[in-house]
Amino acid sequence: MLQTNNYSLVLLIQLALLTYDLFVNSFSELLRAAPVVQLVLFIIQDIAILFNVIIILLMMFNTYVFQVGLVSLLLERFRALLMLSALYLTLSICLHCWVMNLRWMESNRFVWTDGLQVLFVFQRLAAVLYYYFYKRTTEYLGDPRLYEDSPWLRDAFARARQ
Amino acid sequence: MDSENLKVKSTRRRELPPLPQTSRGRTLPSLASQDTVDEVPRSRRKKAKKDPDGTEDMEDTGMEMGGVASRRQSVSQTPLTPEPQEVPAARKKKKKKQQTLDLEGDQAGLVNGDAADAAEQTTDAEEAPRKSRKKKKPKVVETPYVNDLDVEEDDIISDAQSPIPQHSLFSAPTGQSQPVGKMFVEHGRRFQAADRIDKRMASDQLDTNFMDIQSMWTTRDVSLKVHSGYRVIGLFAHGFLAGYAAWNVIVIYVLSGEQFSTLNNLLQQYHSLAYPSQSLLYLLLALSTVSAFDRLNLAKATIAMRSLLMLEPAALASLLYFAALVLTLSQQMTSDRINLYPSSNSTLWPPGSEHTTLYPWIGVNLAVTLMVGLAWALISTGPETDYTEEFLLSMEVEYPKPPQKADMPV
Repeated sequence: MLQTNNYSLVLLIQLALLTYDLFVNSFSELLRAAPVVQLVLFIIQDIAILFNVIIILLMMFNTYVFQVGLVSLLLERFRALLMLSALYLTLSICLHCWVMNLRWMESNRFVWTDGLQVLFVFQRLAAVLYYYFYKRTTEYLGDPRLYEDSPWLRDAFARARQ
Repeated sequence: MDSENLKVKSTRRRELPPLPQTSRGRTLPSLASQDTVDEVPRSRRKKAKKDPDGTEDMEDTGMEMGGVASRRQSVSQTPLTPEPQEVPAARKKKKKKQQTLDLEGDQAGLVNGDAADAAEQTTDAEEAPRKSRKKKKPKVVETPYVNDLDVEEDDIISDAQSPIPQHSLFSAPTGQSQPVGKMFVEHGRRFQAADRIDKRMASDQLDTNFMDIQSMWTTRDVSLKVHSGYRVIGLFAHGFLAGYAAWNVIVIYVLSGEQFSTLNNLLQQYHSLAYPSQSLLYLLLALSTVSAFDRLNLAKATIAMRSLLMLEPAALASLLYFAALVLTLSQQMTSDRINLYPSSNSTLWPPGSEHTTLYPWIGVNLAVTLMVGLAWALISTGPETDYTEEFLLSMEVEYPKPPQKADMPV
């Protein structure tokens, strides 16, 4: 059974990482005076996304549903997040590499091309979807039904066997 | 000796009551088993001490099922045929005497009996009596009128090899069951006697603990708290975004003048605000979009599409916020261009190019403002609509109702 204190702590960490991610996505363009600052922000952001994915996976492994082998039930619920997280991490790393590569020598110059603009739009859109799915998933993982045997789980198991 | 034995048997037959007595009936099997002569009086003395209470026997924790059955029957029969307390002491003494005589007779019978049987008994002196004692008890109980001990002895020896059908051990009593002060709980592979009152108290305590656990702060509550907290932030973001977008577009129109005649003034005045404004718009739009998606089941595309086709306010607001987000992001390049207006004036802003760059930007800003304002109005029509919260509320463990506390069949 998931302890409430543990869950609260994990939720706090996850939401803090999400908040940091949102902050960097919003204001990183304003903090480009020194390229090193932006580089550090980007590195921490990418690590935060990775940490968030690892935490959500560990939380899923911790569920009773996963331990009894009903992985499909979890995947059905959280597939979108896992796919979106992978996509968002990829897009973020690509954008960060590209932007840092263009701005490393001269940070305050106009670097935008159509390709960069498209990548930027997709990365930011994926970020919003990632925030939504991640927040939803962390809240759903507080579902007590996922951590113990219950009639609901037995029904789900019966449906999965059919 | 044989004649004495017969005599004793005959007198015993006459004296046996029509129904087996509570303690006597139970002690008979143990007496009939092939215990050594030394052991028998000791056990008898023990029984003689304990039996009048009838309760001390129950505390034998290592009791087997057969013993349990026999005891249960004996206890349950006690109220049905209450033994008169005023049994003459002389009669009791007589009975005791007869039993000792019986025993002696049995032992003598063993010594004088069939040679092969005796040999078998001496070789199996350690094992056979225990086996027979275990399996014999229920049999004796089921046939209360068996009193011919010689016959019993023969049966025991032969029965030690032949398996007794299991159902006879566990067959339910035909008579109406009486509540017993003890209940037998299976620990490992043994049934152990325990006080019914203690167990009931323990189960009550368990129930109260269970209630305490249920009333405690659960992970679901934490989820709901976080979600309601975010909902407050989201509602604030909706309103703030609508107001900020309106202020932004008003400032742009004011600075650009009538018929966009003073675009250079706009660039000079607004260039320092363009990028922070863009960043703030993204932040607020991200918060608002996530909040709007919470009101729509976006994870299930079919349901989301259906609600969109049915023009539900939450679905429309989500769509408007998402469109506004895309439009805002698409203006990132232009915003940076405006931001860099003073530093790279000649390269980025060649003379006469302001109109071609700024018209779409102003138009997009206006569209974003209208969308955000409309979405805010739509959200405010049904601020209580929240799919995610509904789901969070639904995630409650449905505990199966505890079964009715019927008397457990012993």
